[in-house]
Amino acid sequence: MSDLQVKMQSLSEDFTKLQKELQEAIMSRQKLEAQMQENLGVQKEFEQLKDDETIYKLIGPVLLKQDRSDAESTVNGRLEFIRKEISRLEPLIEETQTKIEKKKSEIIQLQTSAQQAGAAAGAGGKPKAVAA
Amino acid sequence: MNRRMLTKAEEEAAGEEIEVRREDQDKINKFSRLHQHELSIEEELKGKNKEKEELDDITTELELAEEEDLVPYKIGDAFFHVQLPQAQEMLGVSGAKVEEQIDELEEKLGVIREEMTQLKVELYARFGRTINLET
Repeated sequence: MSDLQVKMQSLSEDFTKLQKELQEAIMSRQKLEAQMQENLGVQKEFEQLKDDETIYKLIGPVLLKQDRSDAESTVNGRLEFIRKEISRLEPLIEETQTKIEKKKSEIIQLQTSAQQAGAAAGAGGKPKAVAA
Repeated sequence: MNRRMLTKAEEEAAGEEIEVRREDQDKINKFSRLHQHELSIEEELKGKNKEKEELDDITTELELAEEEDLVPYKIGDAFFHVQLPQAQEMLGVSGAKVEEQIDELEEKLGVIREEMTQLKVELYARFGRTINLET
């Protein structure tokens, strides 16, 4: 493989890797969003709960009675964690998207210069078959 | 992903290109199938281990519970109020079942991995650096 093709291969690999990273980050973000909605729903239910009503937690196949304040602090803690994770992921997603754009232009640049080099060489000799 | 690509020099040093016979292609395809299977079993195993963990957790929690309490136990989509000892027994049965399933899956995984290793040996012997079987 010529040096140009090696470089192109390497850029393509980087691009694919970045796309995979973006995909994973977006999926995590969506999962967190769903978890947040679920926990917000629970929190709302708690607010409407009367003092004598019991809270249960499903662990495996068993509904275990929960202490009201324990349950509330568990849910609040979860929500805080989710919010932190979301604010960590959002800049990461933006950053990855920027990197992808940059990589795309690097690839296009390389393709353009390859074509120009090919055109110059082609003017002199036979065109080479390039394995895709 | 670290894809080992041969440089031009390495490619020339590798010498004559080895012909891919029918049996070689079959082995490569089999390797690929086994790998997919491996991934799917690993996923299943993850789920089962999580289930086991939850069962262990609730078993421990129930040990701290009062003897008179009725335990709401989920069967299908309904909850049945059972006595504590009965709930503990049911948990034990479920736990044993899940452990059995885990053992089965791990055994299957072992067999698959053994087969994959064997195929690797055969394919690397024939193709050397011109094939990459790292997963």
